Amino acid sequence: MSLKTVKPPLRSAAWRISLWATLAFACGTMVVFVFLQSFVAGDIQRRSDAWLSGEVEVLGDVAERTPNDALYGRVVGEVAELAAREVPNKLASGSGTSDSVFFLQSGIDGSLKLWVGAGSGQDHLKAIFSAEIPPEHPSDVRVPGFSVPFRVACLRIGDGSHIYLGLSERDELRVLRSLRVRFFLLWLLIVLLGFSIVFLTTRRMLRHVRSITEAASRIGHSDLTARVPTTKRNDEVSQLAHTLNRMLDRIESSMHQLHTITDALAHDLRSPLTAIRGKLEMSLAAMNGEETAEPIVSAIEELDQLTDFLNKSLDVAEARADALRLTVTEIDMSQLLQTMVDLYEPSMTEKGLHIRLSNEKGIIVVGDEGLVHRMIANLLDNELKHLVSASSVSISLQCRDETAYLVFEDDGNGFEPDVLEHLFIRRVKGKTSDGHGLGLAFVDAVARAHGGTVEVMNRDAGGGRIAVSMPLAPEKRHHQMAATAQAG
Amino acid sequence: MRLLLVEDEIDIQGFLRRSLQEAGYEVEVAPDAKTAEQLAVESQFDILVVDLGLPDRDGISLILRLRELGLRAPVLILSARRSVDDRVRGLEQGGDDYLTKPFALAELLARLRNLLKRNSPQASEATRLRVLDLELDLLRREATRSGQALQLTQQEFVLLEYLCRNAGRVVTRSMILDQVWGMRIQPDTNVVDVHIYRLRGKVDGAGQQPLIRTMRGVGYVLKDR
Repeated sequence: MSLKTVKPPLRSAAWRISLWATLAFACGTMVVFVFLQSFVAGDIQRRSDAWLSGEVEVLGDVAERTPNDALYGRVVGEVAELAAREVPNKLASGSGTSDSVFFLQSGIDGSLKLWVGAGSGQDHLKAIFSAEIPPEHPSDVRVPGFSVPFRVACLRIGDGSHIYLGLSERDELRVLRSLRVRFFLLWLLIVLLGFSIVFLTTRRMLRHVRSITEAASRIGHSDLTARVPTTKRNDEVSQLAHTLNRMLDRIESSMHQLHTITDALAHDLRSPLTAIRGKLEMSLAAMNGEETAEPIVSAIEELDQLTDFLNKSLDVAEARADALRLTVTEIDMSQLLQTMVDLYEPSMTEKGLHIRLSNEKGIIVVGDEGLVHRMIANLLDNELKHLVSASSVSISLQCRDETAYLVFEDDGNGFEPDVLEHLFIRRVKGKTSDGHGLGLAFVDAVARAHGGTVEVMNRDAGGGRIAVSMPLAPEKRHHQMAATAQAG
Repeated sequence: MRLLLVEDEIDIQGFLRRSLQEAGYEVEVAPDAKTAEQLAVESQFDILVVDLGLPDRDGISLILRLRELGLRAPVLILSARRSVDDRVRGLEQGGDDYLTKPFALAELLARLRNLLKRNSPQASEATRLRVLDLELDLLRREATRSGQALQLTQQEFVLLEYLCRNAGRVVTRSMILDQVWGMRIQPDTNVVDVHIYRLRGKVDGAGQQPLIRTMRGVGYVLKDR
């Protein structure tokens, strides 16, 4: 289905939803990563600490057992270098002895007794002394000239000297950094992917929602047979569509019920009315114009009034439930109004009323001919019944903004204020009115059924004003109807 | 004229049969669709009056069924329903007619006459109508009474023409509204009466025999005798 109005994506609900969803997702994964990273960092540290503690003990053992002779330095140095080759977390590097590990033995007097590692070792020794490393477990030592701190384990051996084994945290940090970089790239990818998936999915879903809204708004007052589109998927949107359709089913069925009831009521009342009227007419014919026929004549007239009242009541009842059944055709309002005024003009003149008609030509509406005829007849009847002699009524039909306006203005007594408020509620009428109080309720009902309105007010200059508006026949429907008429 | 009346309500059946017989029709009555179908197959009818609410079948499906069986006679549909079914409109376009209950007998008879006239090949339309000393020239839209021209408005002429065409027969207010003004409305006011009153003032001059008679409770009749 093609949508008439596609909103710019930045202002759509799909965009907002996916933005928020992505933000939440990104933050969540970031938190998870921070936890993960600190766990990995801690683990790496624990491993290197374990290695350091183990190695320093081995070296201490070796240093203690090795006789303190000329070979001492070389033996312990060899062992220290061997140990350095098994450095954990070490990244492949070309150099045999890297600067990431050092071994240092300080004498009792604090002098550098033995040094294995890059450089002279003096800086390291100074840094170690100033850091005051506790003998129990390894700790960080910052050595001038090295950007990355060393993890240093300490052991005091039998002769009172200390041995230190230091491991640069450079490799550890490098591992963590590479972990971060990889995570960040992956995270970016996933977030972007997630965003687009969420955006596309919600957009599709909301597009479906919009198509449901559009379809639902197209289902008019009288046409309840249409349904909103559904899909086979059993998601919330499709459930919404199904629920809407079920609701429409129920409305249609209660409307059908209402029609059945009003039809049955009409039928059950009309059949006896027909029989009574027929019998009255036959008796009337048998009397052949005698004076005694008067009661029968008035009975027939009252019967006709009763029938008319019944029809109007049922129409108003249906209209109030927005359930009037329309058989629509194009109606030339201008021509209809002219004919109606011609029909009523003699009665008005007879009563001493002046009638003025200002009729714009060629105003065409789409509607139920019978109902619109009766609506205008009701308006004219209303004027004829309620205006006193020598009043004048001006009727105008004009079209503005795709709408036909039919306005009745008179200079009579106007509407009683308490009646004015409830005029469209059936059976409300003025104290002096002799009608059923259905007239204007019926006018309102018909106008509403055709998508129009009725406004009633008292004019400032005195008298009443009734304005009926009805939408003009749209060109499109015009063509459609012509096509159906041809097909039928 | 043979007429088949299909109606289940005994009361309506009774008065319709009598009234139609008085109007000169030879009436057969069927209380349900089954009997109606039987009767229609067995013998020929010139016209049918069918009620929509039959006990055994919908009136419209009966009519469609009879049409399938080769029925050519026109049908007047009687309906107590509120809305006019699309199918009724279809039949109406096909040459049939419908009447809503309750109806005036005069209107029923007029509609039957119209249906029969429509269905029979007729002589070319007359250009002059003559009722007693009243004469209407349909081409020149002029009316004379006893040779004296009547000053009628366009609308009054159409109204008089309608009365003349139905001279001697009762026409009701709703028939006049339908045929002369083309609308099926029921005004609360005496709009038709005023038109007739004006027309009578012009047609029935002083000292002349009154032609337009009011049949109270029924309608009007233009005397032809």
